Amino acid sequence: MINLSDREISAEIIASCRLGDRDAFRALYDVYKDRVYSISLYFFHGDQAMATDVSQQVFLKLMTSIGQFRGDAEFSTWLYRLVVNACMDAVRHSKSEAIISDRFRMEAFAGTGSQEEDYARAEMANSVRAAVSALPPKFRIAVLLRYFEDLSYEQMAEALHCSMGTVASRLSRGHKILAERLKGLISAKK
Amino acid sequence: MFTKHFSGQLASYIDGELAQRKVQQAELHLGQCARCRTECEQVRYGMAVLEHLPLVEAPEGAWASIEAAFQQSRSRTTATTGRWRLAFAATVVLVLAGVAYWAGVHQSGMRWEIVRLAGSPIVGAKQIREAGRVGAGEWIETDSRSRAAVKVGEIGSVEVGPNTRVRVVAMRPDEHRLALLRGEIRARIYAPPRLFFVDTASGTAVDLGCEYELKTDEDGFGMLRVTKGWVSFQWKGLESLVPAGASCRTRPHVGPGIPYFDDASENLKQALESFAFEKGGNETLSIVLTESRARDTLTLWHLLSRVEVGDRERVYDRIAALTPVPDGVSREQALKLNPETLKRWKEELSWTW
Repeated sequence: MINLSDREISAEIIASCRLGDRDAFRALYDVYKDRVYSISLYFFHGDQAMATDVSQQVFLKLMTSIGQFRGDAEFSTWLYRLVVNACMDAVRHSKSEAIISDRFRMEAFAGTGSQEEDYARAEMANSVRAAVSALPPKFRIAVLLRYFEDLSYEQMAEALHCSMGTVASRLSRGHKILAERLKGLISAKK
Repeated sequence: MFTKHFSGQLASYIDGELAQRKVQQAELHLGQCARCRTECEQVRYGMAVLEHLPLVEAPEGAWASIEAAFQQSRSRTTATTGRWRLAFAATVVLVLAGVAYWAGVHQSGMRWEIVRLAGSPIVGAKQIREAGRVGAGEWIETDSRSRAAVKVGEIGSVEVGPNTRVRVVAMRPDEHRLALLRGEIRARIYAPPRLFFVDTASGTAVDLGCEYELKTDEDGFGMLRVTKGWVSFQWKGLESLVPAGASCRTRPHVGPGIPYFDDASENLKQALESFAFEKGGNETLSIVLTESRARDTLTLWHLLSRVEVGDRERVYDRIAALTPVPDGVSREQALKLNPETLKRWKEELSWTW
């Protein structure tokens, strides 16, 4: 098994993937799986089935089309472009976006521990999840990409098919909406 | 100096993504503008609260499902390729034998594989029994009972429907091009945008990463229906962008019509056709505007640059009534059809398409 530290995606690994090397694909998957899944999960309001389906689509697409990755863009930019396309395609084909948004699936985020000391932290996390979930899709995906992947604005523009100015505008507006909805949360819960 | 508020750039300022010259301008402005200072703190706070959003581990069994799907996809490809190769080799052995086999292998790299799905499809003058190959310049023709599937290099496939005549024009890595004289094709392309093109009498369908159906007659009366991704239909500088779930009619000497979502109202579709192709007047435009939902800003955005100058304001106002006009889009520039403004507006509107 190939072990990769975070983001150490070398040209050799990509080349191995192109040759159909199972271990190389697995190594790529291990590096990105949690972030791709988390972005999909928060994007789809905690819908685990949808997040799993979208994540699988993304990695399957990656495996079947890695020959088309030309290396003139960073690998992560290309990957997150697949994520954005998969998420937005799913939104376009889903009639239930608004409905799901209204009944945010909190159960998907049930914590691993139930200790009372974690209660406040869990409550805060739930508030943030609900606020992110209520963002319009274009703001939501931008905020999640920036937060989980820390892409540069240039990379985000590439992944989101828009200009860097639009990225800045969406992030500004998205974070402002979050701040308005979560006003006082940090100080109140500390 | 920033004399205007810079709400839209606050995130880039905080994230250190603003150019140095603009940073200085921003800081000067922040020193003088309480509103922007407040908003800046809000954006900072909005970023800070995300620290409470934990990374969630992907389900344990996910990799097994992905790998199984991948193996399935590879075995399908291998099996299909195997059948094609066998048929090809048999043909070569029968016709040319011996050394000609190697010539055939060499040639196969420059031809696309084609398989019969039904009836008796023809490539050039030759009937395809099970599988064969098609090269640049050759025609594929089907009758009312025939269908065929063409593997478009390494980028996807095209199903050729009944009563269709289509020619392979180019098969280069950077340009895969068909000319659809008449009939219907269904394309599934898994390549970066602008590598697959289909010419018709009323324009060219440019793949932007998608699946779609395209039908036309020899005069250019046709229909494009997109089921996944986007297609750009172009004719003499006119372009219609058609996303998944939308369709666009085509007409000779007019090119692509105005795209509309398949679930738009019948009144809208009828009025749109009348307006686009039959010089429908004010009344039909009024129906289109009245019947439009937020999602139909796809139609209205295209309409904006195709109506007479006098009607442009009505279209602008309707879009603005359906969805907030974003930062960076001014009424004045939109009515002047400023390309950057229209592009910016499309980027925003397309999230509802």
